[in-house]
Amino acid sequence: MIRLSRRAAVAGAFATISAPAALRAQTLRKTSVGVLRLSSSGPVFIAAERGYWREAGLDVELKFFTAAQQVPVAVTSGDAEFGVTGLTASFFNLAGKGALKIIASQSREAKGFPLVAYMVTNAAYDKGFRSVRDFAGKRVGITTTGSTFHYELGLLAKKYGFELSSVTLVPLQTLPNMQAAFKGGQVDAILAPVTLARALTADNSGKVLAWAGDETPWQLGALFTSPRAIAERRDLVERFVRGYLRGTADFNAAFNQRDAAGKEVHGTNFAETIGVVARAVQQSPELVAVGLPFVDALGRLDVGDIYNQIAFWQQAGLVGRDVNGREIVDLSFVRGHLNVPKS
Amino acid sequence: MADRRPVPFRGGGFSPIPVRHAAAIGFAVLLALWEFAVRHGLVSPLFLPAPTTVVAALGDLWTAGTLWQHVSESLVRLIGGWCLGTLAGLAAGLAMGVWSLGRAVGVPLVSALFPIPKISLLPLLILWLGIGEASKIATIALGVFFPTVIATYSAIDAVPRNLIRMAQSFGLPARDVLRKIVLPGALPGILAGFRISTSIALILLVSAEMIGAQYGIGAFVLQAGNLMLTDQLLAGVLLISLLGLAIGTGLTQLERRLLRWR
Amino acid sequence: MRLVCESVGHKYGALDVLDGIGLTVADGECLAVVGPSGCGKSTLLGIMGGLVEPTAGRVFVEGAAPAGSLNPITYVFQDFALLPWRSVASNVALALEHHPLDAQVLAARVDDALARTGLREFRDAFPKQLSGGMRQRVGIARALAVAPAVLLMDEPLSALDAQTRELLMEDFLALWLAARTTSVYVTHNLHEALRLADRICVLSRRPGRIKQIVGVGVPQADRALPAAARAMAELAEQLWHAVRAEAVDAEREVADG
Ligand SMILES: Nc1ncnc2c1ncn2[C@@H]1O[C@H](COP(=O)(O)OP(=O)(O)OP(=O)(O)O)[C@@H](O)[C@H]1O
Ligand SMILES: [Mg+2]
Repeated sequence: MIRLSRRAAVAGAFATISAPAALRAQTLRKTSVGVLRLSSSGPVFIAAERGYWREAGLDVELKFFTAAQQVPVAVTSGDAEFGVTGLTASFFNLAGKGALKIIASQSREAKGFPLVAYMVTNAAYDKGFRSVRDFAGKRVGITTTGSTFHYELGLLAKKYGFELSSVTLVPLQTLPNMQAAFKGGQVDAILAPVTLARALTADNSGKVLAWAGDETPWQLGALFTSPRAIAERRDLVERFVRGYLRGTADFNAAFNQRDAAGKEVHGTNFAETIGVVARAVQQSPELVAVGLPFVDALGRLDVGDIYNQIAFWQQAGLVGRDVNGREIVDLSFVRGHLNVPKS
Repeated sequence: MADRRPVPFRGGGFSPIPVRHAAAIGFAVLLALWEFAVRHGLVSPLFLPAPTTVVAALGDLWTAGTLWQHVSESLVRLIGGWCLGTLAGLAAGLAMGVWSLGRAVGVPLVSALFPIPKISLLPLLILWLGIGEASKIATIALGVFFPTVIATYSAIDAVPRNLIRMAQSFGLPARDVLRKIVLPGALPGILAGFRISTSIALILLVSAEMIGAQYGIGAFVLQAGNLMLTDQLLAGVLLISLLGLAIGTGLTQLERRLLRWR
Repeated sequence: MRLVCESVGHKYGALDVLDGIGLTVADGECLAVVGPSGCGKSTLLGIMGGLVEPTAGRVFVEGAAPAGSLNPITYVFQDFALLPWRSVASNVALALEHHPLDAQVLAARVDDALARTGLREFRDAFPKQLSGGMRQRVGIARALAVAPAVLLMDEPLSALDAQTRELLMEDFLALWLAARTTSVYVTHNLHEALRLADRICVLSRRPGRIKQIVGVGVPQADRALPAAARAMAELAEQLWHAVRAEAVDAEREVADG
């Protein structure tokens, strides 16, 4: 087994062509992936449930974490070989130290996919805060500095030409804290995930101005692994990606279909697939159906946006100047990445 | 006598005697080992930044001029929260220590409320008090209150009853019994309680500054953790430890002055 | 001032401790109370001093307190009951501070009490720096400072070693002979009772009743003289018989119970 894997690593791409049938008949190679119980990790749950990794010769253990920050840390420390989560400043700080490499896409903020809302309180709305152009001079609750919410506001500032520094960002750490601050009128606005946004609109605590996906599409999450795994077990990484991409394809086919008018339609195997995701995230299928993100069927990354994220965090002083996008993203596992900057 | 043997010494040990500079030397050796391990790649600097890196991160804060801002904002919250929690805790503890009804009502209440993790109350505190200084100070005050109550009434319980009877036998009015017997008698226990409550205040600093704080040692540690900037994280932790050390030393001095009679 | 107990009884819940104690301590008399352990001596003293509320009967004082007495009924405690955070002088002053006294008067009274108990040089010492005998001197000084009309003492010497006890007893006798304060002296020690008391009250085992009251005919000052030796020895013998019988029964009760 050890000799085989070594040879496979040396043989590189050859191994993928020659080995599968023989290997599959023998033992499955063990590996693990760190995930959160969120529907954006749906491709992982689907690949595991439908045996896509088994067919690729892998026995993949799912390791569940409770906060996005923990997953890259787990991959860095070797507790998990792969990870899928949203990209934050914390991720780039770890990746910049040579601990992580992005190899495929997870979810993307995209038009027509309401995942994160810009919500204003009724009081702020009445005082004239009625458009996403009006953020300057307002107090906005986010979870933490360096979070995806922080970046989304940065994108909005760039799009509408206001200074992000003119917005008072109030880091409140948790969603319940944000909800409390919003209801108590301590902030003028928050960035609210879809479930929170629905709860707040349902009890008429505030109004949704717009959805981040409609305003500023971007590469929200990614699949990543350690540079060492790529260097020493490239064959295993390729097998993993192969299984993962069958998951993204199923996810996209079931959940991301739209008709000509842009209205959501149930895709292939919708009910069964949503059952798989619902079991994994331990919520009712109805609730899961409300917050399904866009996942690229082919696992392609918006590479330009990732570079842009790094530049944004660097400008904010939250990520070291020495972090380089080119060293963090490995484009060789998925074909046809989008928006790749010409070097 | 032919069969003469010296009695072998078999006592000794088990009684620590102070060794001069041992603490400092032990500390220095540990730091040197740590630095060496990181420099020579035995541990990744990502997992454990070298002491020099941590000090450098602290230096960066100093040169950026934000160090004092972090420290001063935290001190305001710490002092405000601790004083508030301590005053309220002393009053409640006193009521429970000397007054039967107070005890009957208070003890089950304290047992029920003490173990509540104060962090879980943050959303409520935000609703009641907003996200300004009030809710941060309240978080610390709440954490300080309960241990102070317990320390105070246990300390009052530990005041020998015969001293109180003595005072009564000399006709001291209740107020004087409280002022001259109960309170000084409970002082050692109350001061011991201060050690615990000041530590709790420091522990809760991070929780308190979870509520929309832009400056403060807790907010700094929190942000460093969120951003995985481990050197800054440890620099913040170092600041908190130093603060704890300073407070502990201050309390020792206070005990020395107030409890000279022991 | 006289102290009168009228059929005093006491129960701690169901535990009957004292029963029908009728007793008068005459003005200027020293009454010793002896009896087996647990028979209610301390309880009786507590009732006399108003620190324990009797469940039956009442206690009265009769006659005027001497001029300048600040605390007519005053205790001396077995365990000294000193405040460890106050110096010797300050412990004595505690008994005076709440009275409306001039600072000078207060200081003079403290000084006088310390002088009478031989504590002047130790006025700034803390209790932990003193020997047991010294500590009880502070307790006595504190009682003297308020010029008591009735002195209640609960085994004041029993926490001390035999030699200190003997010495302090002599000092105490001298003080008492000088002032002749009405006193009740609870003790286990017949020797102390015979040395100090005018009358000795023997309590029965629990519930404590008065078994016998014996008058010591010889004046205190003469008791150590050879001429009194025989009479004192006979009295001691008689008392010991009375106390021993009760003590033996009390022991048996404990063994059976
Ligand atoms: N506060 C109390 N509550 C209940 N029982 C008590 C209390 N104080 C004393 N007793 C009991 O009452 C009895 C008499 O106690 P007391 O202290 O008066 O005896 P004593 O004669 O002074 O004994 P000793 O010679 O040991 O000092 C004892 O059995 C004691 O256990
Ligand atoms: Mg007794």
